[in-house]
Amino acid sequence: MGDPKEITTLQATTILISTIIGVGVLPLPLFAVRAGETSAPFVTLTGILLAAIGLMILTYLGMRHPKKTIITYSQDIIGKWLGKLFSIFVIFFFVILTSLAAREFGAVVVTAVLRETPLEVTVIVMLLLASISCRNNINVFSYIHNFYVPMILAPVLIVVAFSLKNANSLYLRPIFSGNDIRDMAAGMLTISALFQGSFIITMIIPSMKSPKKALKASFWGILVSGGLYLLIVIATVAIFGPEEIKQIFWPTLELARTTAIPGNILQRLDIIFLAVWVLAVFTTLFSSYYFSIHSIKELLGLKDHKMLSYFILPFVFFLAMLPQNILHMYEIIQYIGRAGLLITIMYPAFLLIIDFLRSWRKKKNVAKSS
Amino acid sequence: MWQNHREIKVVILFFILIPILSGCWDSKEIEKRANVLAIGIDKASEEERKMEEDVSHLGKKFPIPDEEMIKVTAQIAVPGRIPLGPQQPGGAVKPVLVVKVIGHTFQDAMLNLQQELADEVFLGHLRIIVISEEIARKGTSRFNDLLRRNPEIRRTASLVVSKETASKYMDLTPELERIPSLYLADIVDNLTAIGKFPPSFIGLFWTIYSSKGQDTYLPYLALKGKKTIQLNGLAYFHGDKMVGKTSPLEIGVFMAVRGIGRGGYGAFVEVPGEDESVLVRAVSRKTRTKVKLKNGIPHVSIRIQYESEIDEKESAKILLSDSDMLKKIEKESSKNTKKSIEKLIAKTQKLNSDIFGFGEHFRAKLPQYWNKNVKTKEKWSEIYKTITFDVKVDSHIHRVGMKSK
Repeated sequence: MGDPKEITTLQATTILISTIIGVGVLPLPLFAVRAGETSAPFVTLTGILLAAIGLMILTYLGMRHPKKTIITYSQDIIGKWLGKLFSIFVIFFFVILTSLAAREFGAVVVTAVLRETPLEVTVIVMLLLASISCRNNINVFSYIHNFYVPMILAPVLIVVAFSLKNANSLYLRPIFSGNDIRDMAAGMLTISALFQGSFIITMIIPSMKSPKKALKASFWGILVSGGLYLLIVIATVAIFGPEEIKQIFWPTLELARTTAIPGNILQRLDIIFLAVWVLAVFTTLFSSYYFSIHSIKELLGLKDHKMLSYFILPFVFFLAMLPQNILHMYEIIQYIGRAGLLITIMYPAFLLIIDFLRSWRKKKNVAKSS
Repeated sequence: MWQNHREIKVVILFFILIPILSGCWDSKEIEKRANVLAIGIDKASEEERKMEEDVSHLGKKFPIPDEEMIKVTAQIAVPGRIPLGPQQPGGAVKPVLVVKVIGHTFQDAMLNLQQELADEVFLGHLRIIVISEEIARKGTSRFNDLLRRNPEIRRTASLVVSKETASKYMDLTPELERIPSLYLADIVDNLTAIGKFPPSFIGLFWTIYSSKGQDTYLPYLALKGKKTIQLNGLAYFHGDKMVGKTSPLEIGVFMAVRGIGRGGYGAFVEVPGEDESVLVRAVSRKTRTKVKLKNGIPHVSIRIQYESEIDEKESAKILLSDSDMLKKIEKESSKNTKKSIEKLIAKTQKLNSDIFGFGEHFRAKLPQYWNKNVKTKEKWSEIYKTITFDVKVDSHIHRVGMKSK
C-alpha cells in the first residue's frame, strides 16, 4: 500500500466523530420519540451502547490484523471467495448509505431552505464535492476531518445551551414509559444504525501510527458523538415534549428555529445551524464515499483509488434518486439502516469468532507438533 | 503538456462551479417580495362571502361550508417605506399596505391574496397573527396546519386573540412605533419580559396543544380608544377552542400557579384592622406542585412563595413603620392570593381547560395511574373537572421603597 502511516490517535478519533455526526442529527429525536415517547433518551442510550459494542468488535478485529482492512483480512479468515463475496455486500451497502445520506441532505435543503433549487442539483453538488475530495490520500482525508470537527461540535452545543431556558423537565418523565418493547427495540436499532459511519475505523487502522491505540480512538469517538446525540435528544424532548416531536420531521432543526441568542443578536439560529450541518453532512458523505472506493480498490487489488472516484459517481447519484418522496425515503432509510446492522455488527462479530477459533486451533496444532 | 491540460481542467471546473455554488437559484430581491408582517383572521360576513373567486377550487365542490369562511387581513410592508432608523423624517405615507381576502381555509385565503399581488408572498417576517374571539371560539387547529408546514414561518411569532374583529388591529396606526405590526408584536414580547404575561409564542402554543395533560392559553387583546391596545386578559382553551378569558389581574394568579418566576402584577391588600389598603406588587415567586392520589381521586397541592414589595399606600392613616405591620399585610396578601387562585382553578375546571398543566404532572409523576385511567387528552379534561386541590401561599415583603413611613 502506498499510503504513509501517519494518522495519530487524535486524528482517528476526530475522523470517527465527524463521520458519525451527519444527516441523522435532524430526524434523530423523531426516531427516538416514536420508539419510546418519554423514554426517548433511554432508547437513544441503548442504541449508542449497541453501536459501541459493534465498533469495539470491529476495532479489536482490526487490531489483530493491523496491516489489513476488513476487505483483505476477511479473505484470510473465511477464505478467499467467501471473503470477497461478503466484501461485495459491504461495499454495496456503503454505496447505498452514501446515496441515501446525499438524498436526505437534498430533501432537507429543498424543503427548508432552498425551495426553488431542484433536488438533483443539491444532491449532485454534494456528491461532486465528496468525489473531488476523495482523490486525495488518507492523510489529507484525516486532515479534512480534523479541521471540521470543532466547527461541527460547537454550534450544536451552543444551540442546545441557549434552548434549555425553555425546557420543561416534566416532558422527560417518566423515564421508563412502559412502551411496547418491540417498538423500543426497533428504535434502538434505528438509532444505532445512525452510527454506521464508524465502520470507517477498519480502513484507518492500517494507516495509524500505532494501531494498538485504535481501541482508545474508537472509545472516545463514540463517547463524544454519542454524548452529543444523547444531548440533542434530551434537549429536544425537554423543550417540545414527545407529542409535539411526533409532528415534526426534523426536531433538531426546529429547535434551532425556536432558539434565539438573547439580546436580539440572532432571532433564530437555524441558518447557522444549517450551515454547520452542511459541513457535518459533507464529512459523513466524504467518509462513506472514500470507504467505498478504497474498498473497491482493495477488493480488485488496484494500486490507486483515484480513478474510481468519478467512476462510481453515476451509480451513487442514480441510487440517491430512487426514493419516490420524502416519506418513502425515510421508510427506506430506516429499513436499510436496520438491515445494515447485519453487515456492520453481525458480520465483524462472525469474523471475530472464526478468527478466535482459527488461532486456537493453530495453537493446539503447534502444541501437538512440538 | 500535462501541465497545460491540468490548467484547462481547472479553468473549466471553475466556470462550472460558479453557477452551482453561488446559490442564485433561490435568490430574490427584497423589493420583489411581498413581506407579510402581520395577519388578522376573522369570520367572513355574508356579503364578503359572495366576493370569493375560484382560485384554489372550482365551484361549490368544497367540504367546508360557506358559513365557516374566513376573512384574512394581511399587513404587507411597502418596499422603501420601512424606516430603518429613528432619524428618518416621519412622512404621512403609511409604511404598510393592508389587503383583505377571504377563503375557506387559511391557505385558500393566502392563495387569493397572492392572486391580488404582483410580488411573491413571503411569510418569513410574519411577527404576529391576530385571531378574533369569534373564530378562536370555533377552533384554531384549522389554521395551524399551514403554519406548521410552511418553513418560512417563525416558531417565535406571536399568536393572540382579539376582542374586536382582527382586521381593526391591522388598520390601526399606533403612535409609539412607525410600523403597526411591530408594535403589536412588541406588546406581547415586552409584556412577557416585564412579567405581565407568561411566555407565549406560536411554537409554545403548538407544544402545549400537542401534549396530553395541558391546555393552551393566549394573550387576549382589546382596543381602548382609537390607537391603544390593552392586554385585557388571558384567553384559555379547551382543545383548540377558546372557552373563556380571565381578568388582567388573574394573569398574575395564573403565572403563579404555572410556576413562572417573574412577577409583575400588584394588587390592593386591605390592612387588617384598618379600612385602608396598600398596593403589594409581586416581584418574584417560587412554585412547587405536588400530585398524589387521594382515594383514587387525583389531588394537587400547590405551594407558592411570593417575594413582594409595597408600591403605594392609599392614605396617610396607615403607618408602615414597624415590621409587625408588614407581617400582617403579608398574611392578608397570602390569604387574598389563595382565594383568587382557588377561584381561577374552579373557573377553569368548569370549562375543562387545564391551562395550569396539572395533567402533565400526573403523566410524569404517576405514570401507572395515567396509563391505566387517562391515556388521552379528552379523558384528562374530563378527569380535570373532578380533581381536588389545596393551595398554600407564603408572602414575604422585604422592601417598601424609598419612603420610611
